[in-house]
Amino acid sequence: MHSQLSFGGAPPKKMDGSMLVDFNFRIIFEYLPLFLTGLKSTFFISLISIALALVTGIIACACRISGIKILKYPAIAFIEIIRSTPLLVQIYFLYFGLPTLGLRVPEIQTGIIALMLNSGAYIAEIIRAGITSVDQGQLEAGTASGLNYIQRMRFIILPQALGVTVPPLLGQSIVLVKDSALLSLISVMELTRCGQTMTSERFMPSEAFFTVAFFYMCIYFCLKALADWSQRRLIFREAY
Amino acid sequence: MSHKKLVSIGLAIVLMLCLTGISFAGTLSEIVKRGELRVAVQSGAAPYAFIDKNGVHTGSMIDFAQGMADAMGVKLTVLDFDWDGLIPALLSGKADILAADMTPTLKRALKISFTDPWIYVQPCIFTKTGASYQTLEDVNKPEVTVGVLLGSTGETIAKQYLPNAQIKSYKGGGRMVVQALIAGHVDAGVNDDLAVLTVLPDFPPNSIRLLDKRLGQGKDPLSFAVKHESVNLWQWINLYFETIRANGTYDKNIAYWMEGIEWKKDH
Amino acid sequence: MMGFYFSRLVEIYPFFLKGLWMTSKIAFISLVTCTLIGFILGIFRSGKNIILKRIVGVYVAFVRGTPFVVQIFIVFFILPEWGLQLDAFPAALLAMAIMGSAFICEIVAGGIDSISKGQWEAAASSGLTLAQQLRLVIVPQAMRVILPPLVGQYVLLIKDTSVVSVIGVMELTRVGWVTVVRIPEGLMVFSLVGVLYFSISYPLILLSNYLERKMALE
Repeated sequence: MHSQLSFGGAPPKKMDGSMLVDFNFRIIFEYLPLFLTGLKSTFFISLISIALALVTGIIACACRISGIKILKYPAIAFIEIIRSTPLLVQIYFLYFGLPTLGLRVPEIQTGIIALMLNSGAYIAEIIRAGITSVDQGQLEAGTASGLNYIQRMRFIILPQALGVTVPPLLGQSIVLVKDSALLSLISVMELTRCGQTMTSERFMPSEAFFTVAFFYMCIYFCLKALADWSQRRLIFREAY
Repeated sequence: MSHKKLVSIGLAIVLMLCLTGISFAGTLSEIVKRGELRVAVQSGAAPYAFIDKNGVHTGSMIDFAQGMADAMGVKLTVLDFDWDGLIPALLSGKADILAADMTPTLKRALKISFTDPWIYVQPCIFTKTGASYQTLEDVNKPEVTVGVLLGSTGETIAKQYLPNAQIKSYKGGGRMVVQALIAGHVDAGVNDDLAVLTVLPDFPPNSIRLLDKRLGQGKDPLSFAVKHESVNLWQWINLYFETIRANGTYDKNIAYWMEGIEWKKDH
Repeated sequence: MMGFYFSRLVEIYPFFLKGLWMTSKIAFISLVTCTLIGFILGIFRSGKNIILKRIVGVYVAFVRGTPFVVQIFIVFFILPEWGLQLDAFPAALLAMAIMGSAFICEIVAGGIDSISKGQWEAAASSGLTLAQQLRLVIVPQAMRVILPPLVGQYVLLIKDTSVVSVIGVMELTRVGWVTVVRIPEGLMVFSLVGVLYFSISYPLILLSNYLERKMALE
């Protein structure tokens, strides 16, 4: 192995020859339109993917907890396979695999499908945990009070399940936004790809990737604030 | 144990794993002193440089680099990078030499020093055999997507000669572009003709054809590169190529890798 | 055609095993370093020292707020500009250490915070130093809360080793990526890759489920 430490020698120099202290904000402003395009793209990809993942998760969860074997076992297999394999492998599987089946799916769609399936499996487990967390006793009390299935769902199960489910769901959304960065590797135009493009054109990885990191942090803090807010609201609702 | 001790033990473990030696990359005397020549390549570009079925780095440029290492009396270390990571790898000192099928452009030459060309190629447009594109004008339309390699001259040339078409950049290597074409993600691709011709055998026969008209003005050189400071190394590499052209090694290398397909059997 | 590719895949199988070995190496070293550093940071994070808490908090926020692939690019391409130039393998280890320790820090801090104040007071009044309190009383009890999510985090770390393929480390995912351009049977190649990952992740998932059930019962 060979590594290099040059603290003791000359002051650190950047790749394009300038001194480290000249962090070039001018270049960042020049590339700002590109970064904003990437940010928009990341935003829309994440939004669509999480929506689809929610649907996928609900369906998968329904199959998982149903008693019907032909639905239950494929659902379990699906969830366990997704959870045991890396997302990047799933992305490559679809990206390189779909064409061999004769399907020409554009990269963005391929990426969204990968994200949808991946997050969908995790959401299925989140929902399952939420539903099973509702006390059996509550259900019995509901039945004893003469509520039918739909009423039991509406007044007893769902409100409580929601409180347990929504925070992890928002957590999964945050994970999905970060996962979307992997789509840059199958040349989808999104935020991380902007950083790669700027580095390959200008050889300024510091400016490029610190800017990219900054934008992701912004998204993260927005989503985190949303998650914290929803946690407070839901707990408040449970109280009455 | 106090907090401070815990922290320093933790840091020490991480640092130990990272720092395994202090040395400086780049100049000839340092390479010889270190006993190791570090070469940055973009693997996956057969037959220039790729990984064969045994997981070993091999290819035309690897052979050249091995010859250089042998002549210097040091061992060769091959490092893999995506195409757009090659120049950053050289500039940050991860490698001494950049050995890729890279065109010396004025823009790149602002950052790195190119050696004399070791081969000439021409950029071309390639597409699927059944497609109807025949001329440059056919491809230069808004509804056509053209695949190029991120950070390559193909990318720049495509934008220049095909301003109306949609350009899609692929990260990794030239093969990714060919792959994208076969998979139908793009309608055509732009890359050096040699890079395309030599990967053709790996794909179903007669699936790709090159358009007749080559892009650019005449032949494009491909060169190795070193950092600006490595002047001695730069001169040495030029001398190396002169030497092997004179003694026949160069011709043998090119005949084996570029012009024949014998190497397919071994690798 | 499928048969032709299948035989080539069988030929190249040792290459995949080499990749699996590299993945295991990275995963193992990372698990050890992340656990060590994560525990230390977690202790700081749940401690009384506000400044230390905040600093670790900022570090954790940065790691949790940015994608791992961006962190890898930062370690590999930006650190050289700040003086530290690393090869792909050490860079991958450093990036994994930074990322994993932040997540483990939160798990450990959560576990320690869950210990009731009464335990702290009892330990303190028994005349133990802070370090002894942690070592003998608090952490052993916190382990009950920490262990299941910790093992779960280990599974995530193993899967995250796949992302280091972007800087060229020849681990399992990279092996698949390099292979698929030579043997364009994406389904077969990445199914094989998936099966190999499954074989090392699924046992840990089962362990994590088991621990969760066991801890809940006690």
